[in-house]
Amino acid sequence: MDGFDYHHSRAVQARAGLKVFNKAVRASLLAAALVFVVLGAGLLLSHSALGWLVVSLAAWPLAALLWHRGALKTVQIRAGSVTGRLESDLVARLPEQVSPKVLGLHVMQCRGGQFFAIRFGISPNFLGQLLSDDTTRTDAVWKAARELADEMKSEEISSAMVTAALIKTEPAVLNLLPHLNLDYSDIESGVRWNKHTAELIQSFSEPKRTGGIARDWSFGYIPLLTRFARNISEQVEGTLGNVKLEAHESALATMMSTFSSGGRQNVALVGSTGVGKNTIVQAFARTLMDPKAQVPHSLQFRQVFMLDPSALLSAAPGRGELEGLLTRILNEAFRAKNVILWLDNAERFLEEGIGSVDISNVLNQVLEGGGLRLILTMDEQRWLQIAARRPDLVTLLNRISVTPASEAETMLVMQDALINLEYRYKVTYMCQTLVEAYRLSERYVGNLAQPARSIKLLSDAAGQARDGFVIVKSLEAAIEQTTGVKVGVARGADEREKLLNLESLIHERMINQTHAVSVVSDALRRARSGVRNANRPVGTFLFLGPTGVGKTELAKALAEVYFGGEQNLIRLDLNEYSQASDVTRFLQAGSTSSTSLTAQVTKQPFSVVLLDEIEKAHPSVLATLLQLLDEGILRDETNRSVSFRDAIIIATSNAGAEDIRAHIDKGEALEQFEASIVENLINSNQFRPEFLNRFDEIVTFRPLTREELLQVVNLILVGINKTLAVQKLSVSVDDDAKLLIVEKGYDPRLGARPMRRMVQRTVENILARRMLAGEAQAGQAILITRADIETIVNTL
Amino acid sequence: MFVGFFKWWYGDGLNTRFKGIAEQLARVSDFFSIGLLAGTLFSPFRQLSSGAVNSSLEAQLRALFDNIVSRLIGAFVRSAMIIFGLCASLGVVVYGVVVIAVWLLLPLLPVGGALLTGLGRTI
Repeated sequence: MDGFDYHHSRAVQARAGLKVFNKAVRASLLAAALVFVVLGAGLLLSHSALGWLVVSLAAWPLAALLWHRGALKTVQIRAGSVTGRLESDLVARLPEQVSPKVLGLHVMQCRGGQFFAIRFGISPNFLGQLLSDDTTRTDAVWKAARELADEMKSEEISSAMVTAALIKTEPAVLNLLPHLNLDYSDIESGVRWNKHTAELIQSFSEPKRTGGIARDWSFGYIPLLTRFARNISEQVEGTLGNVKLEAHESALATMMSTFSSGGRQNVALVGSTGVGKNTIVQAFARTLMDPKAQVPHSLQFRQVFMLDPSALLSAAPGRGELEGLLTRILNEAFRAKNVILWLDNAERFLEEGIGSVDISNVLNQVLEGGGLRLILTMDEQRWLQIAARRPDLVTLLNRISVTPASEAETMLVMQDALINLEYRYKVTYMCQTLVEAYRLSERYVGNLAQPARSIKLLSDAAGQARDGFVIVKSLEAAIEQTTGVKVGVARGADEREKLLNLESLIHERMINQTHAVSVVSDALRRARSGVRNANRPVGTFLFLGPTGVGKTELAKALAEVYFGGEQNLIRLDLNEYSQASDVTRFLQAGSTSSTSLTAQVTKQPFSVVLLDEIEKAHPSVLATLLQLLDEGILRDETNRSVSFRDAIIIATSNAGAEDIRAHIDKGEALEQFEASIVENLINSNQFRPEFLNRFDEIVTFRPLTREELLQVVNLILVGINKTLAVQKLSVSVDDDAKLLIVEKGYDPRLGARPMRRMVQRTVENILARRMLAGEAQAGQAILITRADIETIVNTL
Repeated sequence: MFVGFFKWWYGDGLNTRFKGIAEQLARVSDFFSIGLLAGTLFSPFRQLSSGAVNSSLEAQLRALFDNIVSRLIGAFVRSAMIIFGLCASLGVVVYGVVVIAVWLLLPLLPVGGALLTGLGRTI
């Protein structure tokens, strides 16, 4: 088996480079050369012939230094054996006998090992403790490393590849990878990432060609373009190229063939915001300016200019002036022979508005002529609008659709983007963060397509870095900060405590209905422990029951206890949506309405959505709710999807209330008749079965008993005492007085609702009078007796 | 080690020096746009031409004259730049010869130094 050969000439040279020519030796050689030169020169100046010998001796330490720099520092790869192909730095470090453990410790000192330590959290300790000391197992590592290098078409077996091979061949390490949120495919993609980074660094150090000082002598002067457009080619010339994506490569190839053929010299790149249309134009500009690139002669050194509509408008505010100026600019561009005009967000040139100009008539003529090269970029929606308004213009354009990047492609783009992000924010991103950034951005970053949405999330998360590292928690914190959604699983002790005691916390606000409280609490616990289906809402519930039994109160209590306050309750009374035409109002976009369901959830995705009196909504409105209940997605009028996947959906209905009351009056327990209530709702055509089936739970609320209403009165009194606390006052009501309130306020049809009214008329009125009469002083506890209540109720 | 050193010095090391000089020549050629200028020697300078004229014979003749002048000016300016570029390239070649000569002799310099010392030469 081909393994590491300690005595291989390459290994000997590499060791010499690292160990013999260490820093001290190199400094000594340099010093010796200087001493020889100075001493020799001194001797020669003092007319000593020995000076020739001394000066010339400086040649040997200098030659040694050049030898180190040219051959020993990085020993050249030699195809064939493992030792010939192994990364020079690693070859230099390895001892004669290499076990996987020894290899692991040495590889972690090399660039690839450090890459895995920083990006993946695979530390030298982690490997050192798990790798075997058995030297017979090293051959398997070399074999795996070699296979990996062959698979990646790399002549060099890099230290990153050896790290991956160590992980692959050691089951103990493989088994522990999930603890780091990794699997072996992540390690392999890490090797590719490392290789790509090394290639980028290499390409940056390669000599650049620019075409030279006379490059543009065959092309015309462009004073107007210099003033009203930005030279993109000048900006991107000589910069690093982006990773090559399939969609971008195909768009680039089409652009090359369109602009080098005899047809209409224009291209319209159409795709959602964030798919990389600008990146394609920049890559196109960069390629044309690269003398080494394979570019048709007719395109070489042609430059892309981005026209600035604001500059045009400020220079020529009148319509006639504008068209005149534009004609001059287009003529200049045409005559220069090396200009490709780019209209970014092309709609700004095709409609009147703030910061936009309508030059479609002039443009139409240019496009028909086909002489001037033009690039237009716009999103699909705008393209459709323009196609509807100016079909003649659209038929003249060569459309190229740019699709969003796939997950694998987005990962590659993110890896490239880190070069800038890490430099800008002075942070380091872990590999696990990139994987999670894609997943989370798909769900929480709207209005952008991939890969831009993942990059936006990475950028947002930089501000949440911990000890200079952007980790998965940083992403979660960034999302929580921007959307208010709790993304990760519950980790804090406070939150866990709250979740475990959710029922008791809710019962501090409402009486009984334990089944309803428990199903809602369970749904929330499932969500926050990460065991729920993430592609549906947190929970969907239909609460049935008569009025005043706590259906709405439960939704409010939940919003208060867990969602950070009642302001996070999105409440819609569906009796306002009883016409088929109301569907439009229901789905209005956030830009046109602030009160539609979709607009409110867009602003506040982490919320309790309360759909009150759902039986009064028009069937078309209910039909739109089907997808929401099923997949947690609703499309607004602009076809933009709005996620309800972080919301709890509670629909309430009084339908079947009479049935419930009848069953209770007969003394039946809730569980005995719940099913028949739902059955009746379907049979009486109040709800369609497919609608009811979409709910996680249909919970029946039963009317409150007098004893429970007494507890409701107690809760109301707690609320009054909270209000009075500001004035350092408190109120206590005798038990028989409370009973009287319940007795007078009791109405089986209205449940708990009249209780608040009755407390207001009795307790609150008595308090108000006493306070105004000066009978209640700060620090005093006011007692209200049955007689006090009787005085009031007798006058009602 | 010594064998390794001499093998590299007069093998890969020397080769690298040649490559370095070739790269410098390519850089000079790129800087002075020699290839581009040679390919467009008679093109109008900065597109300063009358273009196609569909008018009277006199106007056409005037345009032809203007275009010829523009092309001649272009050819003159370009030729001048090509000559500058070739001179600079020659300088690089001379510099390259010196570098190669020094490279070939450097390890043997102490021998020469010893000879001069033995001959008792002073400055």
